[in-house]
Formats: sequence, structure tokens, C-alpha cells
Amino acid sequence: MVELMLPKADRPTKGKTWPKPAGAKRLREYHIYRYNPDENANPRIDTYWIDLDQCGPMILDGLLWIKNNVDPTLTLRRSCREGICGSCSMNINGLNTLACTKGMDDSTGPIKIYPLPHMPVVKDLVPDLTTFYAQHRAIEPWLKTTSPTPQEEWTQSVPQRAKLDGLYECILCACCSTSCPSYWWNGERYLGPAALLQAYRWLIDSRDETTTERLDNLEDPFKLYRCHTIMNCAKVCPKGLNPAKAIAEIKKMMVERKAA
Amino acid sequence: MREETITRQTIADPRSHYGDAKASTRHFILQRLSGVSNIVFLLLLLFIVVSLAGEDRTDMVETVGNPLIGLPFALTLGILTLHMRNGMRDVLEDYFRGRTYRLYMMLNSLFCLIIALLGIGAILKLVFWG
Repeated sequence: MVELMLPKADRPTKGKTWPKPAGAKRLREYHIYRYNPDENANPRIDTYWIDLDQCGPMILDGLLWIKNNVDPTLTLRRSCREGICGSCSMNINGLNTLACTKGMDDSTGPIKIYPLPHMPVVKDLVPDLTTFYAQHRAIEPWLKTTSPTPQEEWTQSVPQRAKLDGLYECILCACCSTSCPSYWWNGERYLGPAALLQAYRWLIDSRDETTTERLDNLEDPFKLYRCHTIMNCAKVCPKGLNPAKAIAEIKKMMVERKAA
Repeated sequence: MREETITRQTIADPRSHYGDAKASTRHFILQRLSGVSNIVFLLLLLFIVVSLAGEDRTDMVETVGNPLIGLPFALTLGILTLHMRNGMRDVLEDYFRGRTYRLYMMLNSLFCLIIALLGIGAILKLVFWG
């Protein structure tokens, strides 16, 4: 349901300003959301200064520099540092993106970093994505067939395979779903752009033989039709995918099935 | 009445069939078709307003009272109020849950029904009784 204000206990307050690194000539200011459930206090926004001469060019480099040199308690997820794993997704200067592929020189002024919006926070920049993964599980993201399994492999022509382009590249970073107001407000009932993009990926896979069952599973005013084509998902996707288009294609399949 | 909580286990299990309202595609199609009908309504309304500019009530009664104009106008007004109700339902589904949703939905339906009855009644009166 729509919530326009954060509960009082969740509103961030002004936090600590950490000292500037000694002797640094080129500095960059980071404002970072900090929250520790063990402290029983409101979240706070801490201010840090990065020495650009000792640090890589990406936002993630800055965060790791802070963790290694200033404040080891800063908590974040990261793994591949090259836009493949989707671990370091966070809200940077108001947009959900991957910290590893976002350059510090993409913006001027202080860099403001928050966890992905409208998700429960485990600690600092780490959101709880359990529901997000449950939704991905719900669309059954695997090949489902009714024919006998072939001796070798399930084959697919080149044009059939081409239909999966723009869909299979999703890295499940959750940037799209957590930027969607419909998902913020109905996150437990609306599947969200990421899960629906994957749902479409399996719906149009020529090898899959359970299209009717998959469409039946999606036919609901909340699961699918909560998408109001706001397009935030397409705007923020760090892989340049378009979940809104995939959702529109599912709706088209639903209508065609009804009309047939 | 407390609203049923949807657990993560329920979400992750396709066999749970949570959120399985089969009418949603029918609603989706109906809303698009009635949207197209609203364009017809708007054009008809524009035609009536422009053609009656500067005319008196007698001319208005004569124009709208013409069954070829009045009856399609009444029909499209009916579809317009249906579109209005369904559109507002989408908004209410976003903003309210449970008992509050049902209350607002009832008020929404009642309001649209009153608009439809008054509007269609007024047009039919002009068509059949002048």
C-alpha cells in the first residue's frame, strides 16, 4: 500500500563527519547511509572524504577505500567489481545502480549513497532481498517441458535464441524492482520488474512447453497488472535492459490468449 | 477483518496460487476498449458543443434529441462511467487495503452509477420526450 513518509524510527539523522585524510590534495566527499540494528537508534548519514590519488575511479573503489582506511565497520555487498554479479547495487545520487560501474566523475559535488529503496535494511548498505528472491522463485525460472527428454540437448534455432537477447542478461541486482513505486507500495503482491522480465524470458523460450501454465500463474491484478508503465525500471537498469517492455509483452500474450 | 498476510514461502511457491484472480486480463481489455470508446464520446461531445455554439435551448433539444446523436451519446456516456469506475479501482487498489478499500470501492461504484443514471436519463429524456 502507498506510504509517502518513512516511519519516525527509520528517518535518517545527521551522523558523524570523519576527518579528511592527512596530506590529500584531491578530495571527494561521500555521504553514506549508516544503520546498525544492534544500536537501537535511527539511521544516520555519515560524511567521509576520499583521497582520489590513492583510490580507483569508481564509486565502489571509494567505498572500499573508506572501509580499508577510515571506517572498517562500513558494511556493503560486493563481489566481481565489474558489473556481472549485481551484488553492489545501491542508490547513488538518487538513482539505483551498481557502485562498481558508476564512476565518481559521473557527478559533481558530494556523492550520496543509500541502500536500495523501500527494502528492509540488514545493515548500512545491505538490503534484505529475501522477498525479491522468493518472487524470482515464484516464476519458476527454469526450463519446463512435457515431451520426453531428448537423447542429446533441447535444440533451438538462431532466431528462436535471438528472442532471449535483452532478457537473459539480467543479473538480479534488484535495481529495477526497488526503483518501481508500484513495487514499493505492493511489494509483497506485485512480482516486480525483475521477476516479470525473467517470467517473459521463459514464456518466449521456444523450448519451454508450459506457456499456458506460466500465463495462468501471472494472471492477477497485482502480480502482473500493477505495472503502470512508470518506466523507472528501464531508466535505472545497469545492464540497459527494458523490463517494462517485457511486462507489456506478457500483457500482450495475455490479451492474445483471451482473444483466441 | 484482518488482512491475510502473504508470507515469503507463499510467494515463492507457485502451487500456492496466491494472487490468482483470473478476471484481470478481462479488466485490462475492457479498460483499453472503453478508453477507445471515450475518444468517440469526446469527438461527439465536441461536435455537439461546436454545432450548438450560440444556439438556444430549443436547438440544443433538437440536436441531442435526435436519436442518431442522442442514443450513441447515451451509450458512450455509459461506457465512460464504466471506464471511470475501473480506472479509479486501479488507483484505490494501490492506496487502500481490506475494509477501507471495500468502502471506497463501494462509494466509487455508487458515484459512477449516479453519474451514469443522471447523464443517460437526461439524454434519453431529450430523445424520447423532448
